Amino acid sequence: MRTKQEYLIKYKDGNLYCEIADIWIDPSKPVKKALITHAHFDHFTFGCEEYISTKETAILLKERVGDNIKIKTFEYGEEFKINGINISFHPSGHILGSSQIRFIFAEEKWLISGDFKLQKDQTCKQYEIVKTDYLISECTFGLPIFKWDDANKIANDISKWITNSPEKTSLLFCYSLGKAQRLLKEISQTNFKGNIYSHGSIHKMNNIYRELGIDIKDTIKIENKKKIDELKGNLILLPPSLSKGSYLKNFKNIQTAFASGWMSIRALRKRSGYDKGFAISDHADWDGILEVVKKSEAKNVFFHHGDSEALSKYLVEKESINVLLFGK
Amino acid sequence: MSLKKFSELFSDLDSINSTNNKIEVLKNYFLSNDPIDNSWAIYLLTGKSNKRFISGRYLKNLFSQIYEYPQWLIDTCYLKVGDSAEVITLLLKNKTKSRKKKLSNISLNELLSQTIPALSKLNEEDKNLEIKNLWESLPEDNHLIFNKILTGTFRVGVSIGLITKSISKLINIEEEIISHRLMGDFKPSIDSYEFLVNKNINLQELNSKPFPFLLANTIEDKIFKNSINDFQFEWKYDGIRMQLIKRSGNVSLWTRGQELVNESFPELVEKMSYIKDDFVLDGELLVWNFKEQIALDFSLLQKRINRKSPTRSIQIKYPIIFIAYDLLEINGRDIREIKLENRRIELEKYFSKWQIKTENNISDIFKICDLIFPKDWHDASTYKEKSRENNTEGLIIKKKNSIYFSGRKKGIWWKYKVDPMQLDAVLIYAKGGSGRRAGLYTDYSFALWKDKELIKFASAYSGLTNIEIKELDKWIRKNTIEKFGPVRSLKPEMVFEISFEKIQISKRHKSGIAVRFPRITKWRKDKKINDADSLENAYELMKKIS
Repeated sequence: MRTKQEYLIKYKDGNLYCEIADIWIDPSKPVKKALITHAHFDHFTFGCEEYISTKETAILLKERVGDNIKIKTFEYGEEFKINGINISFHPSGHILGSSQIRFIFAEEKWLISGDFKLQKDQTCKQYEIVKTDYLISECTFGLPIFKWDDANKIANDISKWITNSPEKTSLLFCYSLGKAQRLLKEISQTNFKGNIYSHGSIHKMNNIYRELGIDIKDTIKIENKKKIDELKGNLILLPPSLSKGSYLKNFKNIQTAFASGWMSIRALRKRSGYDKGFAISDHADWDGILEVVKKSEAKNVFFHHGDSEALSKYLVEKESINVLLFGK
Repeated sequence: MSLKKFSELFSDLDSINSTNNKIEVLKNYFLSNDPIDNSWAIYLLTGKSNKRFISGRYLKNLFSQIYEYPQWLIDTCYLKVGDSAEVITLLLKNKTKSRKKKLSNISLNELLSQTIPALSKLNEEDKNLEIKNLWESLPEDNHLIFNKILTGTFRVGVSIGLITKSISKLINIEEEIISHRLMGDFKPSIDSYEFLVNKNINLQELNSKPFPFLLANTIEDKIFKNSINDFQFEWKYDGIRMQLIKRSGNVSLWTRGQELVNESFPELVEKMSYIKDDFVLDGELLVWNFKEQIALDFSLLQKRINRKSPTRSIQIKYPIIFIAYDLLEINGRDIREIKLENRRIELEKYFSKWQIKTENNISDIFKICDLIFPKDWHDASTYKEKSRENNTEGLIIKKKNSIYFSGRKKGIWWKYKVDPMQLDAVLIYAKGGSGRRAGLYTDYSFALWKDKELIKFASAYSGLTNIEIKELDKWIRKNTIEKFGPVRSLKPEMVFEISFEKIQISKRHKSGIAVRFPRITKWRKDKKINDADSLENAYELMKKIS
């Protein structure tokens, strides 16, 4: 038996850290070497000396951090060595470029799931099952009340929501990287044939996705001085940060919605302040997490990013899987 | 025609904030469904069916049993969702998918008049089997409604007023008429729906309509420049504002919210029908202590307002009174254009006539409001401060030469409210909320200093904005000392201004005091816990009041 001090990867100052390789995973403060699972803002920080990621993540990261960062890229599945540890990226199905990271050291395998989902997503690579001894998994939606519908069902609901109110401008709030492009792809395959506008922050990401070969519809960048009549019956994609404050005053006669996994719960939907909630997520639901834990064949599991109490207890009781706690 | 349509209606109503859109959606629903289902929809939406066929706990146990789910896991989910029917609905998702949905076209009528009532006749084992069978036969989209009806927790953001408005728009007849029709024991049937949407108005319906209420404004300093003699002074009661109408012998009792509440207060309706004159009175309904001639707590009135056809013992336990402020119509003559001081003379005249001439004594349920006569504005303020002694909220000040306008007309009626009592207290416990506040810590307990110890003195859960609630929730999670089930004890660090209406000695509380209507009025981020008030301060406050 090892003690937790000897774990290959541990929690240090609130971040995942591998001491032997002296490398951090998605650190929230500037470090020497950072492995980045994907380019969402809560998974990287400015000012690291060196970043390592997949090619797609690197491009998105440069867009967000700046062109002048030092960044090394690897293909999915390509192994590289740091201080005797074999490291590789594997698709995690979360957003374009997102990855799980596998470490192999002295025949012991560690897998950091990153943010992941098993559901089909036409804008990124499908999650790859990777076998491991130790699994560090996210569990954002680690309760059985979370079960996602297919994305095309949600897209049809959104389409209906827009077309049922032809006099209104429909504002759909969603994360600008990943969720927006996935929605765009799905919605353009529904019966809704109106215009889709997007906010600058989303528009920028759409362009990068297209440059990286993802086939998504061209959207119109929304400008502040659009005529009201032009917008009615159409859809505008906006980042959630704009839902509060004065930005909405630019529009008249609107209906608002938020696309997020949390919207599957009525109380959260009501509290969110949006007219409507669409439960679509780029994270795994309960069944997804269980499937990954089982198929990874991990004997030892750690959870982070989320409330893991119930999930851990369930795995220990029902599946006899050893769930460990990080010494934070 | 089906449960499916009703589920869609529910989901629409649930996600629409605008009243006009809700009305539109309801109107369309009524237009496209048959009368019997419409009548059931109205029955459900107006909350007339809150019969609980099984409890939420039972539902959760049953699910746990059937699908071999640990009870603790369901309970953990419940903390996040806050509603048993919804938890089970979410957990049922994808569990019953492969089955053929035999009941995909079941009508609302069939479900509510046959399927669900039939459950009560079964023994437990059969009942459980039948519920499981229904879960598997009903399409997933209908599970929420089904589970909510089963547990008697069907509620949606639709008031009876909204239904009234929708029907009114649907058939183009005034809302008051529809209100009148919706009054009474609405039993779902084709007839009851057709009666509701009948385009012919009968005379009785026409006669029941109330006038728009005149509302008071919060007092402004400029009023003190006027002569005190220009105003009439009344106590501001904390009851339910109403119009009591008797026309052509029929009495109707309308709240300010356009609700007809005859059924909740049958004893008042009966007594008033003995009066020979016809009239429209503006006044307040209260639960009353007749011995001391003083208003009782609003909370007691709440025990009456939500109860239709109260039993005799309820009527005795919570005796009501209607206190008339104003006379608006007498024997068919609309006198709203007459000056207030003259209306008051009429009111007094008729009141004494009714007291003498009515065969039954009406003074055990009806009176006119006493007037107060302050010498000057300073005196008025003294009266206001004394208002707590007779359980009123302050004074209402009315211009003597004003006519009865409709709505909140400025400068005619003023409310002069007594300030609430306040103490700064330290947050020491938090508990998770339920329903809309599920998953957030929203029930708080506050403490005052006693020597160097913090003693709990009040719990409150209202007064913070949604943004503050979220912020505080985050703080609570980070500053928990201990968890006891849903309750967390917290690091004493946050100070809040707590306002309340009444403070009295209580042996039941460790602090020795009890306060009424405690609520948070300010998050005192500027204060450290040492700045919070002590129990001694509270006792002083109590002395000052009594």
